[in-house]
Amino acid sequence: MAEIETYIADVQQFLPSLQITSDPDALRDYTIDGVLPRLVAMPSDKEQVAQAVALANQHGLTVLARGGGSRLNLGGIPEQVDVMLETHSMTRLLEHEAPDLTCHVEAGITLAALQAQLAAKGQWVALDPPDAEQATLGGILASNASGPKRLRHGTARDVVIGLHVVQASGEIARSGGRVVKNVAGYDLNKLYIGSLGTLGIIVEANLKLQPLPTSEHTLLLTYANVNDAMQTVMALLGSLLTPSAIELIDAGAASDMSDFFGLNLPTDGYTLAIDFEGSSTSIDRQLDETRLIARKAGALMGEDLAGKEQAQFWQVVREHTRGTVTCKVAIQVSQIASYLETINSVCRRQRLEAAVVGHAGNGILYVELRPGDATTRLVEAIGELRRQAQEARGSLVVERCPIELKRGISVWGEPGSDFYLMQRLKQQFDAKGTFVKGRFVGGL
Amino acid sequence: MSITELPPPVTSTLYERMSTEKKAELVRELSDVIGARYVLHTPYDLMMYEYDASIDRSTPDVVVLPATTEEVAAIVKIAARRSVPVVPRGAGTGLSGGAIPIYGGIVIAFARMNRILEVDYDNLRAVVQPGLVNLHLSNALNPQGFYYVPDPSSQRSCTIGGNVGENAGGPHTLIYGVTTNHVLGVEIVTPEGNIVQVGGWTHDTPGYDLTGLLIGSEGTLCIVTKIIVRIVHLAEAVKTMVAVFNTMDDASNTVSEIIASGVIPAAIEMMDQMILQAVEADTHAGYPMDAAAVLLMEAEGLREGVEEQVAQIVRVCNKHHARAVRIAANETERQLFWAGRKNAFGAVGRISPEFYVQDGVVPRTRLPFVLRRVGEICESYGLRVGNVFHAGDGNLHPLILFDSQIPGEVERVRKAGHEILAVCAEAGGTITGEHGVGIEKQEEMALIFNEVDLRVMQQVREAWNPEQLFNPGKLFPMPGRCADIKQL
Repeated sequence: MAEIETYIADVQQFLPSLQITSDPDALRDYTIDGVLPRLVAMPSDKEQVAQAVALANQHGLTVLARGGGSRLNLGGIPEQVDVMLETHSMTRLLEHEAPDLTCHVEAGITLAALQAQLAAKGQWVALDPPDAEQATLGGILASNASGPKRLRHGTARDVVIGLHVVQASGEIARSGGRVVKNVAGYDLNKLYIGSLGTLGIIVEANLKLQPLPTSEHTLLLTYANVNDAMQTVMALLGSLLTPSAIELIDAGAASDMSDFFGLNLPTDGYTLAIDFEGSSTSIDRQLDETRLIARKAGALMGEDLAGKEQAQFWQVVREHTRGTVTCKVAIQVSQIASYLETINSVCRRQRLEAAVVGHAGNGILYVELRPGDATTRLVEAIGELRRQAQEARGSLVVERCPIELKRGISVWGEPGSDFYLMQRLKQQFDAKGTFVKGRFVGGL
Repeated sequence: MSITELPPPVTSTLYERMSTEKKAELVRELSDVIGARYVLHTPYDLMMYEYDASIDRSTPDVVVLPATTEEVAAIVKIAARRSVPVVPRGAGTGLSGGAIPIYGGIVIAFARMNRILEVDYDNLRAVVQPGLVNLHLSNALNPQGFYYVPDPSSQRSCTIGGNVGENAGGPHTLIYGVTTNHVLGVEIVTPEGNIVQVGGWTHDTPGYDLTGLLIGSEGTLCIVTKIIVRIVHLAEAVKTMVAVFNTMDDASNTVSEIIASGVIPAAIEMMDQMILQAVEADTHAGYPMDAAAVLLMEAEGLREGVEEQVAQIVRVCNKHHARAVRIAANETERQLFWAGRKNAFGAVGRISPEFYVQDGVVPRTRLPFVLRRVGEICESYGLRVGNVFHAGDGNLHPLILFDSQIPGEVERVRKAGHEILAVCAEAGGTITGEHGVGIEKQEEMALIFNEVDLRVMQQVREAWNPEQLFNPGKLFPMPGRCADIKQL
């Protein structure tokens, strides 16, 4: 415990304005997978983050940044967490260059707060991960969180144009810049996005923005079987209709949504939710042609959603990716139908239940497995589902699970042949291990 | 445009030129692996590989033409054992010196690895070899109604491997993004000669986004031997229009306002008077030769959406005093408009023996200011300049005209180029939007990145290519030179 006390003494001496707490009761709220940080600091800007990291580095302590905490359990069980830096005071929109469709913002702002400020000038950052009220931009970038609209708008790697990142040494390095097109130097933005704080702490970001769509409409279609549903998806992807999102919802997930959120989705068969954004004349045609495609594939028509109802629907869909045990599966779109059958047969064999929501157009499925305490059966099922995903040229990551299960599995799967190159990067960026280890792929 | 031998590096050389005996041994060993036919080493053969489309040049010792990934790996292993630098080369159309072997050594040319290995229309993917010509991919996909989006102006000859190396853009990247937004995975050969798969067919591969890191690394981290790309459906409707302006400011302000109004066209290109005159003389596309600037714009998507976009674009053009707005009546006219733009660099050859093209990017709203400064800077050096560029992205391409036969002219061109990039940096922009740093803009890296930023980037090279076996002496400011730059 000695080094943390000298750290605290140094903070009080050199960084008196940095708010810290080491009160055990307060720290309990910051537990990750049973690991308690020894100190929580709440820096007010990037310089304070930099100084806090520099001091930790000097004292040989480990650091982990925390945004809203909504994805803190992602990844393996962390090794020792000495200093947790909570970024919730870093919420300024530093610049919004609206005519240039760019902005510069601190990483601790919640996505909802950022979108609200951008919306005042008719713009948004094209990211729609779950939990926008709680999730911070920094956390979203560090964990590469995404949502249904990635089909049209892409993910963090497509909207970030510049980053300010505190290095293990406590220095602040910039990558990218303020303009939308930039190939000067290595594209380190891509490296930091999704690196879960293992290479640096994202403190500020420059983002590319989009005009808010003039209108938006969602079509709900229901199907008796998954093959018909996926036939519609494939036809849509091969068409000119450019939907913004195509979400596939199975009976298990539909039943949850109906139970908990009062949505009226059919609880047998499959639902497709297809979202269009743009001008109203285009959308009218997109909806008509989608209905034609769907009818050919044997769809039963459902509701059309717009306005508030639509916003609520998508919020519910996004939140459904956050169950007790949720696996994120990435496979080829053409393999989704057969993969869903695999899920069913694996679950039957292991006496588990599944609820699936997926970005069908991207080949990304969020598979919730229940009951969450059936650890042995879950370990078996996850192993089998992972093998099948890999055969479909994909991967399976256990995004959320109880700690008992986490101890029995590899949440990321076995690292690939490029892992040694990742290790070398980690070694170069953080030789001393200042950034908390254990959570990222291969324990990085 | 090769006009000058590269000045000798200021600091100690990374690699010495190899002796005749060493070279003969190397040629023998390489010939054993890939066949003597595919190992070029006579001065006559090598001359074709000493330049790209930038203004520097340097001759390799050996050029090899492998046919497979395994051959590339074998070549790299030989090079590593002998400490001979390796530089990959696509079609040599790069504009920053990326393919120039400054220290000699081995150039790996990918002309024989030019196949489309797989196309999967269901999952919208294609797998290609690095030597495939960019346009050949779209040509192969078009009959099925698909294409590959990034379209550098050199797309008739540049290769997808080169595009990956430089993270190439093009006129249609305004709405759809550049190379990095369209590549999901690559197969690479590392400096140790290992063959490694990075990224993949599906999204969000666990681990660091190495694909994203490698794209645009200019051959300094790895050699790419296979590329998995996203393909997309051809648009239903495309409308191409030309708007004519009497002042550059009106044209620039039109660009900003179109985008700020919520319309993001597929492309917005600008050409100034000098370029218009060159293009007209060359392509006869029907551009007015007395206009100060022309915007070439394209809207695409669903018919209904395109009509609305065109109406909005025309409204904004008129508001900013467009002299005329002409919409291409048919595909022939559309192709003619684009031919004028895409051949612009070539057309400039009619009015000047040589030109030097810069690639700075600025926030769109700063275009009027920066374009004025570009004109003033060139005037102060007694140089003529034309502008043809991706206005929608704020990505400038000033073409500085010159004649290397005139003593001192090359030096003045370099100085003017540097000052232009300094203006871009000051305006909140960057020194290169799509051409890469290469040799040409090494010093200018210090205009936008400080010591810490550059050191972090160097850590990446240290992790992957510590001996600088691959493409040595590129991308970073040469030691000892930064100080000179900062004074400017």
